[in-house]
Amino acid sequence: MSYAAEISRANPACFVFLVDQSASMNDPIGGEIPQRKADVVADAINRLLTELSVKCAKEEGVRDYFHVAVIGYGHAVGSAYTGALSGRDLVPLSEVADKPARVEERLKKVPDGAGGLVETTTSFPVWVDPVSNGATPMCRALAYADSLVSQWLVEHPAGFPPIVLNLTDGESTDGDPASAASAIATQVSTDGAALLFNLHVSAAGASPTTFPDSDAALPDAYSRTLFDMSSPLPPHMRSYALQQGFKVGDATRGFVYNADIASVVQFLDIGTRATDLR
Amino acid sequence: MGVYVSALRVPKRGSTLAECEDASSVFPDAGSDVWLTDPVSVALSDGASESLLAGEWASLLAESVVGALRDDGRALRDRRVFADVLVDAGKAWRGWVREYVANRRATGRPIMWYEQPKLDRGPYATLLAARFEPVADAIAWRAAALGDTCLFQTRGGRLLHAFPLESHREFTSSPGLVNGYNQDRALVARHVRTMSGRAEEGDQFFLCTDALAAWFLAETERGGQPWNALCDFTRSGAVDEFEAWLDDRRSAGSMANDDVTVVHVDLG
Repeated sequence: MSYAAEISRANPACFVFLVDQSASMNDPIGGEIPQRKADVVADAINRLLTELSVKCAKEEGVRDYFHVAVIGYGHAVGSAYTGALSGRDLVPLSEVADKPARVEERLKKVPDGAGGLVETTTSFPVWVDPVSNGATPMCRALAYADSLVSQWLVEHPAGFPPIVLNLTDGESTDGDPASAASAIATQVSTDGAALLFNLHVSAAGASPTTFPDSDAALPDAYSRTLFDMSSPLPPHMRSYALQQGFKVGDATRGFVYNADIASVVQFLDIGTRATDLR
Repeated sequence: MGVYVSALRVPKRGSTLAECEDASSVFPDAGSDVWLTDPVSVALSDGASESLLAGEWASLLAESVVGALRDDGRALRDRRVFADVLVDAGKAWRGWVREYVANRRATGRPIMWYEQPKLDRGPYATLLAARFEPVADAIAWRAAALGDTCLFQTRGGRLLHAFPLESHREFTSSPGLVNGYNQDRALVARHVRTMSGRAEEGDQFFLCTDALAAWFLAETERGGQPWNALCDFTRSGAVDEFEAWLDDRRSAGSMANDDVTVVHVDLG
């Protein structure tokens, strides 16, 4: 139970993203720049899939170190992929990378080398569009993820444990999600229990928070529930979080409030890291 | 005095030999059964699996370093000179990449969006270099390293030197790496380690990439003599048997599943 299993093409790992697509996701999140929650989570998912694809890219293509599902929940619960992957659950990462619905060109500010910033364009692949429609069946979504995790573990009993990442405003309409969440966290491979992480997008105020070790600074019952549902970060992930400048303690959980969660991809070991000398 | 030099290279389990991102270079490249009485230069490089074109960079780096050591071992005496050799290899890399990108485009396989960020960052690899020079009745050797590719000198039943790492606990997934675009010579020089010594007839040197090196040190720390097993494979050149032997250790969990290269410098 050490989260040390090799992640490779022969021993792939599994990522299940759950995306809240309910009507309340049409509301803006707090902060200086008002953004619709649905836009924030769609961007977050698309960035995560981009980071994962780049991490696993080699010159002959993207290697299938991961199989990835993106499950939306709102008026229905099911695959949230758009484009060629529409309707699919777990998809090998090489196929994900080769089949975004489209690749947009987005503006990005980068250092100009003289202390300022300059605008440039960057490729932004899109697999998931923002959707806000219907109720928030989070319990059903977690049960859907639970069934994918369960099937994965039958086929990969000794692999790196599946990771479920739930992106939501937290307002479940089909009951308390805690028991559905703990069902996922009790699924185990010989290498450890499945991990459930949560990204909470909210208009409730409070400072953006990444990987907290308590719920003391969280603004409402929704964020505290999601914090409680989130798995503690395994030790090796804590040490990578620390290297990336996050304050972490022994009780740090895989929970992020109104902040970027793409860094979680860098917590996964697929071989020697390409790190610069310092 | 002289030396025999032999090398074995095996990909990680689940990868092909073409995907192996270790590279070595030896000068003179005379074959494992030739007793070499002139100075011998060896470089061993391990491309970082998370970077793009890591194997190609490892190969270019190893060739560049051995090229710089052919005539004299000056680069191994001064960390700054060694750093210059590593940084200068980056110049050759930039030309290589321009051709690679043009060729991909010309053959209808342009660089994809998921490759571009890694291509922009450049490739990463470790580098270990050593030079063995016959002097009277001994061999004078010097080595320089950046990263966790290791050199071991054994004599009789004991490990005489381990360089640059000395314990299996020092290996991590983030070793020091030479980046193809790093032109900060002072920074690179700060991370270079050097060592020198003398060797006698019967001494053995093993230059190993990290998975084998970590296993080698762990076995030695347990009181074993892992060099004996390696000698059997390197002297016979039995790469299939070596691969099967590596797989046994990978399956048992005593060795990480990674590309493995060993260069054996055998003083008889």
